[in-house]
Amino acid sequence: MTVQAEYSPDADRIMSVSLGPQHPGAGHFRIKLWLDGDYVVRSEPDAGYVHRGEEKMGEYRNYIQNVPHLERPVILDSSNILFPYALGVDELMNLKVPQRGQYLRVIMSEANRIISHMYFIAIQGLFLGHTTLITWCMGDRDFWIDFAERIGGARVTFAYIIPGGVRNDIPPGAIKKGLETCDWFDKRMDEYEKIFFQNPMVHQRSDGIGVLSRDDAIAFGATGTVARASGLAVDVRKDEPYSAYEDFEFKTPVMTQGDVYARSYVALLDMRESVKIIRQALKKLPQGPVRLKLGPQPRVPAGEVYSRTEAARGEMSYYIVSDGSPRPYRLKIGVPSAKNLGVLPHLLRNVHVADIPPIYWGLNYWPVESDR
Amino acid sequence: MVVAQQQKDGAFQLLVGKIDDVLQYAIGDPMRYLANWGRLYSLWPVHLETACCSVEIGAAAGSRFDMERFGALEAFGSLRQCDLLIVMGTVTRKLAPRLKLVYDQMAEPKWVIAMGACSITGGLYFDSYNVLRGIDDVIPVDVYVPGCPPRAEAFLQGLVLLQEKIRRAPSLSGR
Repeated sequence: MTVQAEYSPDADRIMSVSLGPQHPGAGHFRIKLWLDGDYVVRSEPDAGYVHRGEEKMGEYRNYIQNVPHLERPVILDSSNILFPYALGVDELMNLKVPQRGQYLRVIMSEANRIISHMYFIAIQGLFLGHTTLITWCMGDRDFWIDFAERIGGARVTFAYIIPGGVRNDIPPGAIKKGLETCDWFDKRMDEYEKIFFQNPMVHQRSDGIGVLSRDDAIAFGATGTVARASGLAVDVRKDEPYSAYEDFEFKTPVMTQGDVYARSYVALLDMRESVKIIRQALKKLPQGPVRLKLGPQPRVPAGEVYSRTEAARGEMSYYIVSDGSPRPYRLKIGVPSAKNLGVLPHLLRNVHVADIPPIYWGLNYWPVESDR
Repeated sequence: MVVAQQQKDGAFQLLVGKIDDVLQYAIGDPMRYLANWGRLYSLWPVHLETACCSVEIGAAAGSRFDMERFGALEAFGSLRQCDLLIVMGTVTRKLAPRLKLVYDQMAEPKWVIAMGACSITGGLYFDSYNVLRGIDDVIPVDVYVPGCPPRAEAFLQGLVLLQEKIRRAPSLSGR
């Protein structure tokens, strides 16, 4: 599987092709490819089709007004992008969030991780030619959306985790419903293993494709599922426990192959851990208030803060600088997709054209998140 | 002699015109209805995700909402075969020329659904420096589906509205 001819601009055999921005799978993203027959010789990602200026917009809205637009970049995972923002503002304002609020933050964050991973696995199944998985995952994802909707009040954008706690308390009946969903989903994931992850056809199609070694994962600064699939045990929930994560028992799933299969399978293992965390949190949910009372335009003391959490795709971080006014002076979002994008040109080399979609989607890359 | 010929021609043309009217009434109208009826249950959308509303399209195409029962496929085909362009959310300055290009490459008849607040007015990003305040300036829009993002049900309602519009289209061209 090696290509003899290295890329040179005057080689007649090399054909340059533009994949996107309208292409099967995720749009709003372009990959420039240089092909030698069926092999990719070189590739160059072209991002920035969804750059909406979130960081600049953050500077002329106050800390509460920032909540709705900050969750839009990663709409699948909307609570996890708000989590580090809320933590950062809490730290700047020196707020002690009540314990029940912390637990609800964790529950919502983990429910969102499952919703995001379900979408990821669904599309990965489609790209590997396994259409059963997309219908199953898309259908089952809606049950988790139902659970999150019961708490947050919307299908995808909840604006639930806010500075000072969470927006509202969990409604009656949601705990029972959540535990039922957890039990049902555990059995359901066994079926996913049978139909997809233990399927010999899927193994043939995805084993050994797009291999990222452990050293390369460190060199490129990969995070999240990509790094964990390459044998790198990075998980902010374990490394630097925040909110209430110290109270729960869970593991960080790690695989060593670093190929497309491992990157899909790590997502499933992640979901198993998320279900465990949600079950524990629902069972020992403490009583009390869920949020601290803040004014409509809270003034944040001058200072700077760097906060990070583990989102579904990897490490999500914020750098907030405050000058004592109701609006942030600088709001920097560090998103996992942008960190994993550097891996793409490295992996898209000496591979078949047919392997581009699984490799691209296996990085769990979401252009809207990366471009912000 | 010439005058008589001209009168004869005029009468012939009048007759042809009358026959045309009768044919139009007897065949044209049913033909128009039949052609548009065929179009409205085989809408084939372009897969151009412009921003985050695509997640709800994914849900609408999924097994709970099942867009396919309304006759619209979640298509992965060529642009030349597509007749429905769903603009899924924010269109930025970098994407706008590509959106126009994609629209121009589609064959007639074609329809556009603007999905989400961003593609209608700019939505939450109305004051961002890189976002278009509505896509009407770039391409014509048939149906607007408001929401941020619209629920999957709302999108399906927009689809049904578009089908109703195609059913009542006044001409054979479907517009």
